[in-house]
Amino acid sequence: MTNRERALNILHYKPADRLPAVHFSYWPELLTEWADQGKISRELAVGNHDGSAKEKELDQIIGWDFNWNHVVGTNNGLYPGFEAKVLEELPDGSRRVQNHNGLIERIKPGITSIPSEDDYLLKDRDAFETLYRPKMQFCPERVNTEYFKHFNELRPADTPVGLHVGSVLGSIRDITSVVGMSYLIYDEDEDLFADIVDTFADMQYKCVEAVLETGAQFDFAHYWEDICFKTGPLLSPATFDELCAKHYKKRNDLLHQHGIDIISLDCDGVIDKLIPTWLDNGVNVLFPIEVGVWGDQFEAARKKYGERILGIGGMDKTALRKDKAAVDAEIERMKRLVSLGGFLPCPDHRLMPGTKFELVQYYAEKIKEIRI
Amino acid sequence: MNAALLNEISEKLQRGKAKDVSALVTQALEEGISAEAILNEGLVVGMNLVGDKFRNNEVFVPEVLVAARAMNAGLKILKPVLSNEGVEPLGTAVICTVKGDMHDIGKNLVKMMIEGQGIACVDLGVDVEPAAIVAAVKENNAQLVCLSALLTTTMMGQKDVIDALVEAGIRDTVKVMVGGAPITQAFADEIGADCYTLDAASAAREAKRLILEMKGA
Repeated sequence: MTNRERALNILHYKPADRLPAVHFSYWPELLTEWADQGKISRELAVGNHDGSAKEKELDQIIGWDFNWNHVVGTNNGLYPGFEAKVLEELPDGSRRVQNHNGLIERIKPGITSIPSEDDYLLKDRDAFETLYRPKMQFCPERVNTEYFKHFNELRPADTPVGLHVGSVLGSIRDITSVVGMSYLIYDEDEDLFADIVDTFADMQYKCVEAVLETGAQFDFAHYWEDICFKTGPLLSPATFDELCAKHYKKRNDLLHQHGIDIISLDCDGVIDKLIPTWLDNGVNVLFPIEVGVWGDQFEAARKKYGERILGIGGMDKTALRKDKAAVDAEIERMKRLVSLGGFLPCPDHRLMPGTKFELVQYYAEKIKEIRI
Repeated sequence: MNAALLNEISEKLQRGKAKDVSALVTQALEEGISAEAILNEGLVVGMNLVGDKFRNNEVFVPEVLVAARAMNAGLKILKPVLSNEGVEPLGTAVICTVKGDMHDIGKNLVKMMIEGQGIACVDLGVDVEPAAIVAAVKENNAQLVCLSALLTTTMMGQKDVIDALVEAGIRDTVKVMVGGAPITQAFADEIGADCYTLDAASAAREAKRLILEMKGA
């Protein structure tokens, strides 16, 4: 069997000869650490990102089969984006910058942490109409149709191929900041916020439509949201449903019409209260199921929603910082989850500094020994 | 005392109406209600109710953020009056995001909610060196240090701060609270922190308890 067949069979509750070794890439600091330790070359540590040739080379060295987060897509953000510029150099070496979304952030060279959000441009109706609405329109330049017309000849045969279909709310959050989104929804202009979501979602729908009209074929579709944190969603589930459900449904109905029935969504944090909106509107795969933050949630989700919910992730990546016994314990836990069907183990987020290279190799080897 | 007015301040705060809270706080002062009463029986009551609802999943982060903004709007008017009335803060907390981490939403939320408990906050910002935290504790005679970290790559920075407090010989003079996405009770125990809470509302409640404990109240 190919890894594509293995993954798709498992996600359709069909037999497979073994589990594929699936991963979700690395924090850059870890690759630097591994290079410092002589585990990998310095060259492999730089520019190694989802789907890159360097990542595939590292996959072979470690024993991974593929990265689920490697998907192809369109230019479905602000187009054109704002000019990124430094607004202020601060005495501590940090900078206030305006990024391509018009968000004012404080960043510091050498620090890869999520930046501090200082301010934002999208504060009112006037800013939306003059600065943002024009950048949220569909145009042909957003989609490389020539590439997608030849996609079926170019796509890899061995691994599942996914189409990135955007983000209904996460990208808006990246434009307004968490604070700005909160103020708009709950205090300043709820109708404006709904208009922003609708405008952005319509553009992303048209991007997906344009790709699918080329005849390009995909094994799955993938959303990114990251709209939850440690204790729950960043907004009330009712508001989320009111703003977003119709857009998931419309986009996912289109995907279903083109034969795509595996629709995954990447959202960190405690997502349980948003699952009904996703599941009822066509999203059926949870990813990456962060064990460290929210416990063994997949079993609970399966109990609650039955076999219509699928999972990719759920392997506690912190075991890969410890020892073989910890990895073995996780392998045993993964076996239990795999036995439920419709579940592909994968580290529950990007591997972090302190992760032991040999333990990752050991995990990849052991996970492939599991028969379905 | 105009209990209805204080209740209205609390209500407007819970709904995040910053401008209304400012206007009502000003009105209450004009009516001769003491700043301390406005703080404790209006603003703090409202913020505590928001905190309780947050813990019970009845409201979510945005509602807490807008309520905290309304709280701040009221506090801005009250602070000089409180000072003139000789009302001292309950205690002092030094708060920041640790070295290597630029994220501050959680830290800012905790700060606003701690201030809502009548505790003075010295906010050192983000990406803060342990030495700067030690210096701020000494300079402000703080009873509490609150440390935030968002990422698994930066959480060990919290331990570095505790080590620096030990090295400076002032570990016993302060309580250390830790929080952030990757932080757990087990991690807090491992690094020798005094307190970990899951959310900002619980952090504010625990901050008050710890400061009272430090003051022997």
